[in-house]
Amino acid sequence: MTDVLFPQISQKDPEAEGTLATWFAEDGSAVTEGDLLAEVAVDKVDMEVLAPCSGTLSHAAEEGAVLVQGTVIGSVT
Amino acid sequence: MTTVTEQPTRRLNTAKAMVEAIAAEMERDDNVFVLGEDVGAYGGIFSSTTGLLDRFGPERVMDTPISETGFIGAAIGAATEGMRPIVELMFVDFFGVCMDQIYNHMAKIHFESGGNVTVPMVLMTAVGGGYSDGAQHSQCLWGTFAHLPGMKVVVPSNPADAAGLMTAAIRDDNPVVFMFHKGVMGLPWMKKNPRSIGPVPIGEHVVEIGKAATPRSGSDVTVVTLSLSVHHALDVADELAGDGVDVEVLDLRSIVPLDTDAIIESVSRTGRLVIVDEDYQSFGLSGEIAARVAEHDPGLLRAPIRRVAVPDVPIPYSRSLEYAALPTPARIKAAILEAVGR
Repeated sequence: MTDVLFPQISQKDPEAEGTLATWFAEDGSAVTEGDLLAEVAVDKVDMEVLAPCSGTLSHAAEEGAVLVQGTVIGSVT
Repeated sequence: MTTVTEQPTRRLNTAKAMVEAIAAEMERDDNVFVLGEDVGAYGGIFSSTTGLLDRFGPERVMDTPISETGFIGAAIGAATEGMRPIVELMFVDFFGVCMDQIYNHMAKIHFESGGNVTVPMVLMTAVGGGYSDGAQHSQCLWGTFAHLPGMKVVVPSNPADAAGLMTAAIRDDNPVVFMFHKGVMGLPWMKKNPRSIGPVPIGEHVVEIGKAATPRSGSDVTVVTLSLSVHHALDVADELAGDGVDVEVLDLRSIVPLDTDAIIESVSRTGRLVIVDEDYQSFGLSGEIAARVAEHDPGLLRAPIRRVAVPDVPIPYSRSLEYAALPTPARIKAAILEAVGR
């Protein structure tokens, strides 16, 4: 199992919060390494979250959730 | 016998779908390139070109100065010499400074040259309001472009159509104005409608320009609309289905060419027509559609045509006034209920 993390967007403020804006890959879907999983936003800066490996994606956070950078948002098994 | 296999898809928002379509055409054809304000490092202010600079380099993804006449003129010149430029006018509202290039040159060179010179380019531009950007950054203006002969005008409402229409626009030998509403892009920092994210076919995917789609079939009333208003119309149709009103929603997808046949076919079944248009009401698309139906056969209509458009005022900055002017779901619902006599 590999965790999918909310990426570190703000280096200045490691505790910065952001929004899990969009889940492109649905809960329980099969993903291939490098696939677009989600998009997050911190202070109007968007960043894509890509699949760290191939497998089945489980969501651990809801779309629209406000989270601290580095939070586990899902896993691929 | 042909075997139809279902094409694999992946979920994208409209912005990413457009970028993928542009990238695929840039891979396929070295003549395709992108230019405009902030299309490079910034990736387009509504994310219409994100990542293209990294993938294709500064010779094919060119940031320009704030000089719309200059860079749109440059695109026209490149197109007449055989390139296939995609040039971005950041907001359609800025057309005023560069309209001579657009409607006297881009749109007329093919005609003026007796058909000898083609202008195969895409002019893409952000349209629409709803986020308090004021009177000079919130207009749709597709009726203005459609009024002037010589340009195709494409207005997608969802990711799959945006990708397929962009591919068709790039391959088209005519100038195509590609108008994307900021509210259908699916951007995290804008109010996001779930219909802005959806499955997009992987691989070859072309949507023919000039064909409307029917995202919802119904028998009581036809709602003819386009762009972000398609999302609102579908939301309202879902709501009214519970009240026993069966709404058909027609997504025009392009207004030049306008799929008159699809409009007539639908209205001939429902007998009732509501036109929802985020452009100004007078002298525009909604009047044109009404005229085409009446020219074909006014007997098709069992109730007067209803129009839900922007009244003839500049789009206000104030949120409450802006939403009084825009074709909101509440206004669409009221018009549908009037049309069906409820």
